[in-house]
Amino acid sequence: MARKAPAPATLIALDGTRDADLRRSARALRQRLASRKVKSGVSWWDASGVFFEVGLGKRKHRAASPRTLLLLYAADLAFRLRWEIRPALAGGQTVIAAPYLDTAFAFGEACGLSREWLTALFTFAPAADAHHVARERGKAAGWKPSARDGFAEFSSAVVAAQSPSFDPVDARRKMIACLEAAARRHRSRSVI
Amino acid sequence: MTATPARTPKTRLGKKKMLALLEEREAKRGLLIAFEGPDGSGKTTQRKLFTRWLESQGHRVVTTKWASSPLVKPLLKARKKVHALSPEELCLLQAADHRHRLEQEILPALWSGAMVVADRYLFTSLARDAARGLDLDWMLHAYSPLFWPDLVFNFTVSLDTSTSRVASKRTPKFYDAGQDVTDLADPISSYRAFESRVIQEYENLSLIFRFVTVDGERPIYEQHKRIRQLFQEGRRAAWGEWNVEALTEWLEWAGVPKGEHGA
Repeated sequence: MARKAPAPATLIALDGTRDADLRRSARALRQRLASRKVKSGVSWWDASGVFFEVGLGKRKHRAASPRTLLLLYAADLAFRLRWEIRPALAGGQTVIAAPYLDTAFAFGEACGLSREWLTALFTFAPAADAHHVARERGKAAGWKPSARDGFAEFSSAVVAAQSPSFDPVDARRKMIACLEAAARRHRSRSVI
Repeated sequence: MTATPARTPKTRLGKKKMLALLEEREAKRGLLIAFEGPDGSGKTTQRKLFTRWLESQGHRVVTTKWASSPLVKPLLKARKKVHALSPEELCLLQAADHRHRLEQEILPALWSGAMVVADRYLFTSLARDAARGLDLDWMLHAYSPLFWPDLVFNFTVSLDTSTSRVASKRTPKFYDAGQDVTDLADPISSYRAFESRVIQEYENLSLIFRFVTVDGERPIYEQHKRIRQLFQEGRRAAWGEWNVEALTEWLEWAGVPKGEHGA
């Protein structure tokens, strides 16, 4: 059965644990949209440069808890919504937000933060019209803090560098499980 | 900035042990005293006098200032300079700054027994951002789990005094003057319009959170004497149960300071 093309001014959330997967999936998604004559744009993580600048800072100053990193993610998302996502939607474009809320929720929950706090924090962000998960492909290299990597990779490495109780392998497993659970919840709303 | 105490690797404690550890630390911990109030209310002058007095009493004192964490300060400074922040972004970056200082400076210092004097605390953001029109509940969520100071001195001054004191020293900066929300080109006019809302928000917060009010229009030494007196009269209360979540999260995340887990 042919799937329905998204209506104009659609916000598509694309979430995942690795930046490379997000970029590949976003490209594929845009191609599929283009083949249906749907004009789209992508809003990437760290458009505000907050994490890039954190990455430039001294290593000893880079220590941050999951909660601090999520507050920075929320600040970056507020920037993306103001300058990229909302204007594009207002102009009738389809926007792929890569990543969006589920990545932040997955990281937060994997680090033991409550869903209630995460939900309250991100109330400023509108719900997406469609959801996708960029699943990990092949063997992933170790996660290193780098401004080129995605939020989950960057943040896991930052937390792991300071927290004696943080296990990045376990956190990653939990993040993937959270994203899969979110994908199951959202499946009925997907329009792609 | 206080150095974070050395941590024992992979120290993980159950909730019961964690609570026992907090109880045991109670008698040795330092106190957190916050100085709040609108610009030009004299809180920095009083904070300095109070810090010197505490030191003269033999206390080790750590001072923490608003928006000063090495992680977030450069981000805020660069964005403020180009007027690039929306009220939400400003609030979230300040919440990140607060959380970072809480976990990296304030809690380690309190745990080690030092007195922590905060030149502005989260109430500054609550007052200013509420004046910018943000929802108080949302802001409280952004700052949660909250960590309440043992004592909050709230310095009150009239709008005229605040404006004249600020204007005599400097031209208020764009965000301090609230020019992002007032749309007034003149910083002083904007400051007056914005600060009147901030003062109102401080009054509201003072009622909710029971600040100790200090009349910032009284002579400097008189205020200082009153602060000393209030501090000495204040009974040392246990860490409130509302502070436990922030403390246990910090201990879980950063690990229990070396030699503190009773092993």
